[in-house]
Amino acid sequence: MPEEKKPEDIKKKGSGNVSRRTFLKDAGFVVGAPAIGTMAVSAERASAQDKAAGGQSGAGDVTAIRTEAARTIQLTVNGDKYRFAVEPNWSLRQLIRDEIGLTSPKDWCGGLGACGSCTVIMNGRPVLSCLTLACECDGAVIETAEGIAKSGHPIIQAYIDHNAFQCGYCTPGFVCTSKALLDRNGDPTEADVRDALGGNLCRCATYQQHPPAVLQAARELKKT
Amino acid sequence: MKTIKKFTHIDARTVDEAASILRAGNARILAGGTDLLGTMRFEVLPDYPEVVVNLKSIPGLDSIKEEASMLRIGALAKLEDIAKSDLVKKSYAALAEAAHRTATPHIREMGTLAGNICQLTRCWYFRLPDNRFNCVRKGGRQCYAVRGDNRYHSIFGAVKSCFAVNPSDTAPALVALDARIKTNKRLIEAENFWDMAIPGSTVLDADEIVTEIQFPKPAPGSRSAYIKFAIRKSIDFPIVNCAASVLDGNARICLNAVYNKPYRAAAAEEFIKGKRITEESAEAAGEAAVEQARALPGDRNKWKIQIAKTMVKRALLACA
Ligand SMILES: Cc1cc2nc3c(=O)[nH]c(=O)nc-3n(C[C@@H](O)[C@@H](O)[C@H](O)COP(=O)(O)OP(=O)(O)OC[C@H]3O[C@@H](n4cnc5c(N)ncnc54)[C@H](O)[C@@H]3O)c2cc1C
Ligand code: FES
Ligand code: FES
Repeated sequence: MPEEKKPEDIKKKGSGNVSRRTFLKDAGFVVGAPAIGTMAVSAERASAQDKAAGGQSGAGDVTAIRTEAARTIQLTVNGDKYRFAVEPNWSLRQLIRDEIGLTSPKDWCGGLGACGSCTVIMNGRPVLSCLTLACECDGAVIETAEGIAKSGHPIIQAYIDHNAFQCGYCTPGFVCTSKALLDRNGDPTEADVRDALGGNLCRCATYQQHPPAVLQAARELKKT
Repeated sequence: MKTIKKFTHIDARTVDEAASILRAGNARILAGGTDLLGTMRFEVLPDYPEVVVNLKSIPGLDSIKEEASMLRIGALAKLEDIAKSDLVKKSYAALAEAAHRTATPHIREMGTLAGNICQLTRCWYFRLPDNRFNCVRKGGRQCYAVRGDNRYHSIFGAVKSCFAVNPSDTAPALVALDARIKTNKRLIEAENFWDMAIPGSTVLDADEIVTEIQFPKPAPGSRSAYIKFAIRKSIDFPIVNCAASVLDGNARICLNAVYNKPYRAAAAEEFIKGKRITEESAEAAGEAAVEQARALPGDRNKWKIQIAKTMVKRALLACA
């Protein structure tokens, strides 16, 4: 079980070219008079966020920029609560794999959004963790295939019973997508299942085995 | 997996704040991120955004509600929520079906309607990682599709020498249903919303943000439909798609993925006007729609002309 990580445990991976505050400050010079009011508010917010994050307020000062570039988020993954300082450019997949150490979100398409192997369930929706920014996941409730397996969800046994995988690489993505479907729709038709799984690719071409597996899990769930 | 290059991320609190950040410099709007983050990860564009402005932190931009005279869909409404909405399915069939046929379930769970209509072209020269083809759409000198592999490119000519097509699935539904796009500055008729821009695909100013899409309530007796042709049922972008709405012998018909922007099939509308929609009249309307269509030299994209004709026919028949 991973322990909760504190922001200070997280290694800083450099910082963006521009900090929120310096950008907003520069912006104050670039924009015309009508916008200045808004920009000033933004600048205030930026420094308030800095203070909240424990940063110093010296403009252009490197420590401040670093503090500002990373943002502290809290999220729940498979029932465990975490707190992280994340860089703006981290994907959720990166956070889950590299920081939390859960390796079920895979990568086939390289982060194009085209394969579904990085699927996780976020706030009830099946989403692509490669195209989700970690810094936007504050407060999110996330489930990965590890959590679904640990909870004893019948989808796992159904996948085994129906040999719904060969190499297994795509399986965590399929499992998350199927579970998200079953959470919303306890009585799916085969067409519903095919539709829901339309964004998950399997290079071993196990497609035919998935609908019966998901329908079996649905029947199991109804019994309980 | 390639890590996305550094940028500064700002959660906008209001549309005005987001606009003022856009005015300030090299910043981009982020809605669902399914298009934008791909272009950033693969550094498709010559200039990489310094700042990304998240709109999802602005409350209240994702509602779907019907009022006396119109359906109002917030810019951040998710495609999946639109596709599943009983309200939309009941009276705005073309939109519900278009949203449902877009991309994959995951992308529909993340992607927004505004993001869908503002997405960049999928031309493979434009999209090649690391800006390997600095084409006209990026401020370069030529359209590489002219002499290259143009099997998916425009059949209605170029706009400012660019033969790329608009790939949006929902765009033609907006045109067929006569939608209005509301921004922080104005109300734009769907038909006038798209244009070739560097590198964009809309007429929006640099600091303009879509806040809502409005659909007039269809008159009793009107019908609408949406048809998509793609290689696979899921995931694939349209090769050609078509939305139509019909009321009392008048039709609005819009094709997409055939031209730089959604293409209103005015000739087909003219032909079908006042006629009963039958197999024959729909076929003839399809023929009228592609009368002006021309394949690029080499005829590689000629197949799309036949498909466009058939899409018009099927969309009309679905409204009969
Ligand atoms: C594998 C894959 C398959 C796909 N298949 C299809 C398909 O079949 N059909 C299809 O239509 N699309 C397809 N897409 C494109 C997909 O990204 C869109 O459908 C999606 O709706 C984009 O919405 P988004 O909210 O994620 O946009 P984002 O990525 O957040 O934004 C897209 C663009 O719009 C701008 N933008 C966003 N919101 C606003 C706003 N409110 N005001 C002004 N500008 C704004 C952004 O700055 C950006 O340039 C596919 C994408 C992928 C990755
Ligand atoms: S890695 Fe392919 S969709 Fe995320
Ligand atoms: S089982 Fe091998 S990729 Fe699906």
